[in-house]
Amino acid sequence: MSTTLERPALRTSRKVPPSKDSRTLLKSQIRTGWALLAPALLHSGIFIVIPVVAVLVLSLTNYSFGDTWAWVGFGNYADLFGDVDFLASLWHTVLYAIVVIPISMAISLAVALGLNQKIRGLSFFRTAFYIPTVTATVAVATIWLWIYNPGSGLANGFLSLFGFAPNRWLADPATALPSLMVVGIWQGLGTKVIIYLAALQGVSRDLLESSEIDGANRWQKFANVTWPAIGPVQFFVLITSIVGTFQVFDLVYVMTQGGPGSETRVLVMDIYQNAFQDLKLGYASAETVIMMIVIALFIGVGRLLQKADAND
Amino acid sequence: MTSATLPAIGSAKPSALRPGRILLYVVMTVGAILMITPFVWMLLTAFKSNLEIAKFGWLPSELRWRNFSEAMQTAPFLRYFRNSLFIAVGETAFTLVVCTMAGYALAKLPLRGAKSLLNYFIVLLLVPFQIILVPLFLIVKSIPLFGGNNILGQGGIGWLNSWWGLIIPLGAAPLFTFLARQFYVSLPDELAQAARVDGLGEFGIFLRIMTPLIKPALITIAVFQIEAAWNGFLWPLMITTSDSMRPLQLGLAIFSQNPAEIQWPYLMAGTALATLPMIVLFVFAQKRFVEGMANVGIKG
Repeated sequence: MSTTLERPALRTSRKVPPSKDSRTLLKSQIRTGWALLAPALLHSGIFIVIPVVAVLVLSLTNYSFGDTWAWVGFGNYADLFGDVDFLASLWHTVLYAIVVIPISMAISLAVALGLNQKIRGLSFFRTAFYIPTVTATVAVATIWLWIYNPGSGLANGFLSLFGFAPNRWLADPATALPSLMVVGIWQGLGTKVIIYLAALQGVSRDLLESSEIDGANRWQKFANVTWPAIGPVQFFVLITSIVGTFQVFDLVYVMTQGGPGSETRVLVMDIYQNAFQDLKLGYASAETVIMMIVIALFIGVGRLLQKADAND
Repeated sequence: MTSATLPAIGSAKPSALRPGRILLYVVMTVGAILMITPFVWMLLTAFKSNLEIAKFGWLPSELRWRNFSEAMQTAPFLRYFRNSLFIAVGETAFTLVVCTMAGYALAKLPLRGAKSLLNYFIVLLLVPFQIILVPLFLIVKSIPLFGGNNILGQGGIGWLNSWWGLIIPLGAAPLFTFLARQFYVSLPDELAQAARVDGLGEFGIFLRIMTPLIKPALITIAVFQIEAAWNGFLWPLMITTSDSMRPLQLGLAIFSQNPAEIQWPYLMAGTALATLPMIVLFVFAQKRFVEGMANVGIKG
C-alpha cells in the first residue's frame, strides 16, 4: 500500500568498507530502532491487538463482569438472531450505510469537481464544507436537534416558507431515520471533498488535453480519463465511509436515543447498552463480531464493484 | 472565515462571465450556505431569550451576551472545558512522542522486518475503535497496580475514572505512526550521515536533526489529534462516572438529554463555545490540515 511511495534511497558517495566501526554503528542503530519502536508496539499490542483477539474469545462466553463465567459456544450468536432489538439495529445500520455512503460520495465528488474548476474563493468554500467535519458530532447533533425542533426549529420554519405543513422529524417513526441520515451526509462531506479534490488535482493534465484534442466532450473526458484515474481514491473513500457509517453512535445517542420506539436504534448503540447497561459483555462481543463480519462483507462488495469498474 | 482566493492557475482568458461559470458559482454558493446555516442558526439562537425561541424566527431582538455567562453557570462548563483541554494536550503530547519515535525507526533505521512492521501498523489503522470497545474497557479496568488493582490487575478499577484511562488508550493511533513515517522517509540520509560524522548519537540524530525537519508532519498530527481528543465522546462516556473528569462533549450531551427542560439559548451558547476553538484551529491550520488529510487519503 504505502511502499510504492518510498523514494529510492539516496546512497552516500563515500563508500565505507565494512569495518568494526560500521558494525558497531549498525548495532547501535538497531538498538536505537527497537528502543524507539518499543512504546508504539507495546501500546498497539495492549490497546488494539489484545482487544481484537479478546472480542473473539469473549463472544463465546457469558462473561458479565462477575467472577464466574462459562463457555457458551455459539450460544450468543444463536440468541442474537432471535433478538428483536439487535435485528432492528442491524437493519437500521445497514440501511443507514446503504443510503448515506453513495449519496455522500456522489455529492462530495460533484462538489470537488466544482471546486476543481479554478474557482475563486477556494479556501472559503473548502472551509465552509469542512467545518461540519471538524465540529464534534455531539455539537453537530445538538444543533440539528434544535433545527428539527417541531415547535420553532429551522426545518419547519423553512418548510413553512413554501407552505408545507410542519413535520415532527425525529419524533415521527417515518422520518426519524431519514432525518439522521441527512445530518450524517451533511457532516461527512468535508473529508471526502478534500480527498477527492486532491485526487482530481493529480489527474494527468496531458491525458485530459489530448482527449480534448481528440474531440472528447466534457462528459467523455470525465468518464474516460478522470473517473479511471481517481479509482484508487474512490476505493479509499468507500472503505473509510463504510467503517465510518457503521460506527454511527454520537449522533443517534444525542438526537434520538434510538427512538421513537427503536426506529433509529443502531448497532454501536445496541452494543453499548448490552455491554454497559445490561452488563452482558459476552453477548455484546458476539454482536461486535457480527458487526465486523458485516463491515468485511461491505468492503468485499466494494472491492468487487471497483474491480468490475476497472475491467470495463 | 477568510475570503482568501486562490491565485488563478495558468488560464489565460478570464472566463468569468460565461453562463456555465455563473451557474457553477451559484450552485457552490448555495452548497456553502447549506453547510454554514446550521452554525449561523446556532449563533443566532445563542443570543435569544427563552420567549423569543417559542416561535420560529431568524434574528434575535437584542444580543443577549449574558446567555453565554449564564450558560456557563447552569452546568459546570468551565470545568468541562478545562478537562477537555487537559485531555487534548495530554493525548497530543503522548501521541507526538510515541508516533514520531516509531515513525522514525520504521523509516530510517535498519531494522529486520521493518516492512512487515509497517504493514502491521497499516492493518491496525483499519481497526475501528468501536470494534474493540468492550475488551478495551476490560483491559483498562485491569491495568495492574492502578486504582486499587493488585499486580495481576484485579480487585480495583484500574484506569477507569482516571486521566490515564482518558488519555493513554486512544492516543498514539497507528495512523499517526504511519503519517510520521511517510514524512521521515522523504528526508535525505546524508543529513544523518553528516551528524554521525560529527559524533552525534543515533537518538540525538532522531531528536535534534531529523525531527525538526518534519515540522509540517508534527503540526498535522497535532491538529488531527487535538480535534479527535476534543471531539471524543463514547470513550469518556464509558469510563468516567464523575463530573470532575468529564470532557465538554459529554457535558453537552447530558445537558441536551432532558427534552422538557432544555433551555435552547443556553444550550446553543454552550455548543457555540465548545465548537469555536476547533473552528478557529481549523481556519488557522487549514492549509496543513487539508494537505495532511489529502495525503492520508491518497497515500493510504
